[in-house]
Amino acid sequence: MEFSAFLNSDPGSYIVQSFYHSAIAAAVIEIAIKVWGIRNPKVRQRLLLIVIIFPVFSFPVYQAINPQRSSVSFRLDALFDSSRWLDMELWGVVPIRYGFFLVLFLTAVIFFFQELVPILRHTYESKDLGIPGVRAEEHSLTAQVCKDLPVEEADIFVLQDDGVVLFSTTGRKGSIYLSSGLLHVLDREQVRAAVAHEFAHVMRSRRPLLVALFLFRVLMFFNPVVLMEFRRIVQEDEKICDDIAVSLTRNPNALADALRKLYLVEEEGTQGRTKTLRNEMESLELYSHRLNIESRITRLEKGIANAGDKGWFATVLAIVVVLVMNYFIV
Amino acid sequence: MREKILRVLAFAAGVGILVFLLKFFNWLPLMVQTDSMRGYKDLEEARAALQIRTILVPSYFPHHLNWPPSRILAQRKPFSAVVMEFEKMGSKNTMLLISQSTSEDFLPEEKIKFAQVKENVAYSLKGREAFLRVGVCQRNEPCSGISWKEGESRIHVLAISTPFELIKIAESMLR
Repeated sequence: MEFSAFLNSDPGSYIVQSFYHSAIAAAVIEIAIKVWGIRNPKVRQRLLLIVIIFPVFSFPVYQAINPQRSSVSFRLDALFDSSRWLDMELWGVVPIRYGFFLVLFLTAVIFFFQELVPILRHTYESKDLGIPGVRAEEHSLTAQVCKDLPVEEADIFVLQDDGVVLFSTTGRKGSIYLSSGLLHVLDREQVRAAVAHEFAHVMRSRRPLLVALFLFRVLMFFNPVVLMEFRRIVQEDEKICDDIAVSLTRNPNALADALRKLYLVEEEGTQGRTKTLRNEMESLELYSHRLNIESRITRLEKGIANAGDKGWFATVLAIVVVLVMNYFIV
Repeated sequence: MREKILRVLAFAAGVGILVFLLKFFNWLPLMVQTDSMRGYKDLEEARAALQIRTILVPSYFPHHLNWPPSRILAQRKPFSAVVMEFEKMGSKNTMLLISQSTSEDFLPEEKIKFAQVKENVAYSLKGREAFLRVGVCQRNEPCSGISWKEGESRIHVLAISTPFELIKIAESMLR
């Protein structure tokens, strides 16, 4: 089968159209977020979910509604016909479709090494985690710090480690691990805030919706738009966990200070490194990470603005526009 | 309420800009790549624009069909293809569809689509090895199709008619 014929086959059309459908959905969602000034991370996350879930179903559903949707006649009258771009040849020699599929291939590689492998490794390691830690109840300082936090549904362990360590594992009963080094860096209130944030992650990981969302994300492993938007969803999830932590501790400034101490101070050592591609990429990643942390700190310090409408009108309107517009994107 | 209306208008404006951009980016490749799929007024225009030397046209033509073709679509890239649609006189229904393409997989049969194929047989069309399909189309009308290889091109002729008339049309396309 010729490559151009593959693009017109059902699997080829699915790959191409799911990419364009997610791009259009992302643009429409962005317009909705800007127009309604949506800052509530729960509402933002709900809107961004559309970009992940919609392209999984859009092509088969549209084809079921109209089997002639991929035909030559429909394409000629469509709002946007992707094949016009994919069939174009740069300098009359190199078809653009090769570049397009190279981008999809690179996205799949990034997904595999940066998302799937770490998650599988984390799940595997969590299963038989034999980390020698002291239970929080047996550690006087931590027991005191966590005593009035309603975190019974997770086990808290203190690791004897001078480094700054804080992470949680999920499963039937989630666990939160913090190191003795962390207890030296953060004060009592900050430790409470950090533990409450991790507890929020443990609680949220039990929601079946998030598991389903990850499965949809896996199905779109080749889609660069989904790759970017999924990362935004993860960032929004951090903000949701910040909000849960604040609701438990009633102290947003402690969480902001903890974030500052844990993530912003230690990055200063990266200045003045030799300029190599690898270092530059790491710097870029650190910079983007720093921006996220700073935005979370600013949000916590300014006060969380989650009041007002729940964004349902914007969500419904955005879904309708995404559904209608994408029907004419082939 | 006023604020809500203003937000909806702003959203509509944003979507309007997006639609405009999509239309622009849909039009741009047509300007850059002149040999991509598009409609032509007549066969001469298509032949001249795309430098397709041979376009097979029937010399036998049933009376109830309109001449010239109601729609001519053609492209040279990614592969050469010409599609001609013929309507029934006094109506907008496509009754005959002829396509010729250098791609084996190209068959724009959306206007005349078989709902059920009753017979699929090999047929010798003026010495060419052809495949004849006979069946019914979507509105339960009898329809038939024939395809064969002519040089580098695959020719498909589909018609809402009996196979006898279809074969007459197809034979008239060959010398």
